[in-house]
Amino acid sequence: MDACIAFAQKAVKMHHAYIDKFAYQDSPIHRLDARVKFIVTIVFTAVVISLPRTSVSILFCYAVGPFAVLVLGGVPIGFVLKHILFVSPFVLVLALTGPLYDKTAATVAFGPWAWQTTVGWLCCWGIAGKFVVTMLALIALVSTTRFEDLLAGLQRLGFPKLLVIQLSFLYRYIFLLIDSAQHILRARAARAVGRIGFRAGIRFAAAMLGSLLVRSVDTAERVNTAMRARGFDGNWRTINRLAVRGRDYVFVSAAAGFIFGLYLFVRPMLR
Amino acid sequence: MTKAIQIDNFSYSYPDGTTALREITLSIEHGRRVALIGPNGAGKSTLLLAMAGFIRGTGKVIIDGLDTAGNLKQVRSAIGCCLENPEDQLFMPTLFDDVAFGPLNMGLDPSQVKERVALALARVGLAAMAQRPPHHLSAGQKRAAAIATVLSMSPKIITLDEPDGSLDPRNRNNLVNLLTALSQTLVIATCSMDFAAAVADTAAVMDAGRVVAVGPAEQIMSDAKLMTSHGLEVPRKFINGR
Repeated sequence: MDACIAFAQKAVKMHHAYIDKFAYQDSPIHRLDARVKFIVTIVFTAVVISLPRTSVSILFCYAVGPFAVLVLGGVPIGFVLKHILFVSPFVLVLALTGPLYDKTAATVAFGPWAWQTTVGWLCCWGIAGKFVVTMLALIALVSTTRFEDLLAGLQRLGFPKLLVIQLSFLYRYIFLLIDSAQHILRARAARAVGRIGFRAGIRFAAAMLGSLLVRSVDTAERVNTAMRARGFDGNWRTINRLAVRGRDYVFVSAAAGFIFGLYLFVRPMLR
Repeated sequence: MTKAIQIDNFSYSYPDGTTALREITLSIEHGRRVALIGPNGAGKSTLLLAMAGFIRGTGKVIIDGLDTAGNLKQVRSAIGCCLENPEDQLFMPTLFDDVAFGPLNMGLDPSQVKERVALALARVGLAAMAQRPPHHLSAGQKRAAAIATVLSMSPKIITLDEPDGSLDPRNRNNLVNLLTALSQTLVIATCSMDFAAAVADTAAVMDAGRVVAVGPAEQIMSDAKLMTSHGLEVPRKFINGR
């Protein structure tokens, strides 16, 4: 239970300064239109996911794209790897089930070398590879795009208004919720002497979640008051400040050339 | 001439039956800076909510000649509310969007909105922060930003709930300078007597849901007997005529 609480403490330490700090830099990638980056990321992700489960080596080629965007955007690779590692347990559990279920023998050849493995292990590496490459693309998107621009982009792309509003509030208030959780954990740590038992730990976790829920409801009510005080009548009004420029067309062309060019190049090997 | 705020015999009880405001009668002229002072639980915040039409009780609340019952849209254009916690006031992804929220809801066109946002942010000294997310601002900047969200709507009256809460002396002085430079009618609920004495020209003492005294700030706040009998203290400014 202590380990769980330590993990929770580590998780809540992911303050906003660490989540979106690179989105406020300036680089050629940062200056691109949010809609363009979003669409390219979605298409890239769809193509990578659609690759056969065992095509591990091709994933390495696809990793070049988001890697280049991250380098051009000035996002440190250490920061990216840390975030990938943070969410990797969820996917790794899924990937590691592959070798347990599919033990069909397979031969892997790399230049003059060849070795025996199983299809299960190939699937495992395939899932892990797809996870890493798509996460690279996703982190490249959120680390080079201000969240408010991304929301404005989604709104202009015709996403449901309610979803955009909910994402906007989530982004605004998730940090306050993280701060609240951090304060509760700190208060607990200040009064905890010795090891805490499993049952007591569960009770504490339930009480913390309950407290956070009540605080969230209270905050929602006060925010609603603030909105109504400023004339909110249920219609979400914003000013459009997005514009597609020449550099966005260049980026789209380069990205399309990379994604589909590589796909056409490797297609014969996928058969 | 109409009063900025006219409250006649207003009472309000919470849904659980607890009486929060009892027969409040209060009249505030345009251009006044009024400090609503009183101990915790006196009903100051509830009275501010009543002024903006968020709660309904018995009696009348008239804002700039408009009864809050039935004229909510006009009332909320005339009165701007700054809530106690700026985190509740700043709910948009950027400061610009937050300050633009009110003017956009008033139906102004984008060029007018941008002009108002620029003016309001310049007024509170945050012009360079327009594109920052609110969670990247300091406590003092958040407080100033919350005031800018109201200023951009050009209200005639501004209510502020504990605006000096959690501010350091420098930010508190900045806030005092900002508020005393505003031309609007201000109603400031506060537990800080020094802050109230620095900003207000009129004081209204509240206790147990009643307004127990109203008058010039110096006269009310230098009355040690009145202040201590309601759990308050004489601000340093008015001790020994300083």
